[in-house]
Amino acid sequence: QSLEDCPLDEDEDAFQALGEEDEDIDQFNDDTFGAGAVDDDWQEAHERLAELEDKPVASREQDGPGGEDSDLLGEPEDTLAERLTRLVIDSELEDPAIMQAVQTRVPAQPGGLNSSIWDSSAVLRRIRGPLLTQEMPSVSVLDYALPQRPPQAREEERDPSERALPRRSSSPVIGSPPVWAVPIGTPPKQAAVPNFNQQILCPKPVHIRATLPQRYPAPYGERMSPNQLCNVPNSSLLGHPFPHSVSPVLTHLQRAQLLGGAQVKSLCPLCSAQAGRMSPSQFARVSGLVGSPLPSVNPKLLQGRVGQMMSPASGFRAFFGAPPAPPPSQPQHPPGPASHLQSLRPQPQMFRPDTTHLHPQHRRLLHQRQQQNRNQHRSLNGSVGDRGGHRSSHQERKDPYANLMLQREKDWVSKIQMMQLQSTDPYLDDYYYQNYFQKLEKLAAAEEVHGDGPKKERTKLITPQVAKLEHTYKPVQFEGSLGKLTVSSVNNPRKMIDAVVTSRSEDDETKEKQVRDKRRQTLVTIEKTYSLLLDVEDYERRYLLSLEGERPALMDERKQKICDMYDNLRGKAPGQERPSDDHFMQIMCIRKGKRLVARILPFLSPEQAADVLMATARNLPFLIKKDAQDEVLPCLLRPFSHVLYHLPLGTVTSLVQQLTNLPQSATASAPTNLHLTAVLQNKFGLSLLYLVLSRGEELQSSDTNTELMQDNQWTELMLMATRELLRIPQAALAKPVSTPSNLISLFSRYVDQQKLNLLETKL
Amino acid sequence: MNYMPGTASLIQDIDKKHLVLLRDGRTLIGYLRSIDQFANLVLHQTVERIHVGKKYGDIPRGIFVVRGENVVLLGEIDLEKESDTPLQQVSIEEILEEQRVEQQAKLESEKLKAQALKERGLSVPRADTLDEY
Repeated sequence: QSLEDCPLDEDEDAFQALGEEDEDIDQFNDDTFGAGAVDDDWQEAHERLAELEDKPVASREQDGPGGEDSDLLGEPEDTLAERLTRLVIDSELEDPAIMQAVQTRVPAQPGGLNSSIWDSSAVLRRIRGPLLTQEMPSVSVLDYALPQRPPQAREEERDPSERALPRRSSSPVIGSPPVWAVPIGTPPKQAAVPNFNQQILCPKPVHIRATLPQRYPAPYGERMSPNQLCNVPNSSLLGHPFPHSVSPVLTHLQRAQLLGGAQVKSLCPLCSAQAGRMSPSQFARVSGLVGSPLPSVNPKLLQGRVGQMMSPASGFRAFFGAPPAPPPSQPQHPPGPASHLQSLRPQPQMFRPDTTHLHPQHRRLLHQRQQQNRNQHRSLNGSVGDRGGHRSSHQERKDPYANLMLQREKDWVSKIQMMQLQSTDPYLDDYYYQNYFQKLEKLAAAEEVHGDGPKKERTKLITPQVAKLEHTYKPVQFEGSLGKLTVSSVNNPRKMIDAVVTSRSEDDETKEKQVRDKRRQTLVTIEKTYSLLLDVEDYERRYLLSLEGERPALMDERKQKICDMYDNLRGKAPGQERPSDDHFMQIMCIRKGKRLVARILPFLSPEQAADVLMATARNLPFLIKKDAQDEVLPCLLRPFSHVLYHLPLGTVTSLVQQLTNLPQSATASAPTNLHLTAVLQNKFGLSLLYLVLSRGEELQSSDTNTELMQDNQWTELMLMATRELLRIPQAALAKPVSTPSNLISLFSRYVDQQKLNLLETKL
Repeated sequence: MNYMPGTASLIQDIDKKHLVLLRDGRTLIGYLRSIDQFANLVLHQTVERIHVGKKYGDIPRGIFVVRGENVVLLGEIDLEKESDTPLQQVSIEEILEEQRVEQQAKLESEKLKAQALKERGLSVPRADTLDEY
């Protein structure tokens, strides 16, 4: 039977006519679903159910619109609200507001009546969205045993929520409740139960279009879909307690007008209260029609950001045009802190806009949202103070589309992002971030200490720390298998290539290859030394974090590493002496090598550092030449100066000697001291020279008891140095990084005033 | 609630007006409604803004769902400062026309450049095919 036909066929005749087909269909059912699927007469069940429907509808109609909330509460068939409540319980476990609101309503399981079977929450649970929990309530099969009921021709009075499908999923289980009582979600076989089936397809209970009184504009639902047809006006399909309810559905135009943010008054204060933060568009609709007695409530209602639970599906509103159905029934609000709401309820009117065309999940979400809004609004009204902070900006208030993203969803995304930040060793994984924030904190602490400036609250992101678990991964081993099976996974990747290192003989290689290899060797050495350096630099932090017992071990490790580094730098000579600077020079020719040396120097002992310094000074022209492109040598100045600070005069003297290459060897015929010239013409060289000289001067001036021998040497050197300095034209002199102040005093010892002035101008 | 301070998380940007630059060069302006972990964006009341010289034109586009990988950058628009700009807004037709003219001029110059290079025996550097702009 097609859907279109069903709603219209409500006669008993049609019923009977189709009865003949039942036999076949039952047989088909049997084949498909098994014996347990169809073991009872659906007609009987239907009749019984119809009977059930009549009772609550009748009782509700008796109550009339003025009914008390408490009565409705007591109603066993207060199905809709109840179910929604249950739904809320199931899926909105986290929201305390909702929990609070919901707790007071005990989901009653009336003995053997409609609600047990046609449990809407079950339906909604069937629709498994990402937000729903997977929980299924337990239903006893006995619940399905219904008292006999006469068939009901007109189905409209039934509460569609009761029509909603029971908890069974799409495929039947043998031994589960019989099909007549628990129809599987298959299209209706018989037209006899048109609305019944209709409800199954549109399980959302609250999509009723009640009659519109004359004064309301015609509903836009001229475009009635078959779904809508079954919810024809005048049908109290929902059987909600207030049959005179109105579903004001405005035209697009009206909605547009009202969306302009006009002051919105709610038609139904009750509904408005319930709806909480429903879209102003919704209110707008209503307000255009009837003034609200509750102006005070509305501004709050319109305020966006109380919070959070807005269904993402609400964005669909614009397309579907139908306002999301407000909470289905009045009885919903009584639970909990709703006393104030009762006072606001002069006229219980419900909007039940048609939402049949919406996807079941969408509908569910919409109602969820309303539920939450209702609850929130309850708390909103109850505790105004709490919400004060949320009225942040005017703009937010007017934004009808705000909070499409639920708080839960935001939390979810944030959770994912935090998960990505999980790390066992943040210093390893996220070094720069950690360092940066450490620096900031230090700055802040320093600021705090010095000045009494306003304490800036800088919230720090605390990244999740995961304990490092020792995993020993063992590849899966299969028993009883012939041979070794290759099982490779992420943790145990398979070895694809056997790369074997073959060392080539020296004879075969050409000169270039040798050079290249040597360079590569140097690079490898640099890298290894860098790893050692990073470890050594890290020891301080580790030291702080470690326990007392571990510390000596750490210190030893560190020392060892420093020694290794030094050996790497200077080249491990099998003999005691280190005759050649070659290894060191190789390293110093590479830019990274120079930086490496600069970083290592602070860790070396004074002797080792002096050694390095000497080697550098000795080969300075060579280094200068090599450094022409990189110009990285100046980075060494600072560590060198630190080293110099600790050097005794003797070392300093020899340093100067090395630097200036004075006295020149006898064989050197050139009148100019190339070595010194080169040094002087280079920024680094000159600066280094100045530093050394300055240090020497410092030592001399401070310590008067220096050995005569050294003094002579020094004096000689100085004399020669000054001579050279004077000789070199000023233009050729490089610009030093810094000119130490005591140089003048230094030179003043060795030269006369005239020359001193000259020197002064040069420097 | 301060979401993830010190990081570039978009959660705080939700429901605010943003300017989004896409990899294909389009500029979208809209209210950021929803995000996910890939920085896929849902923009509401989106407007595509075309800039040509000192003029710009807005084409209303409705709701955009942008895949995160296509976003070059995005930034919040200060609603107060939004209006004081030296740029002049024109109609859609006009801006599209301007754009077409500009594209044509660019093509012409490209062609001339290629020609000139070819004459000198040099090859035209090929742009990376992955990035259009």
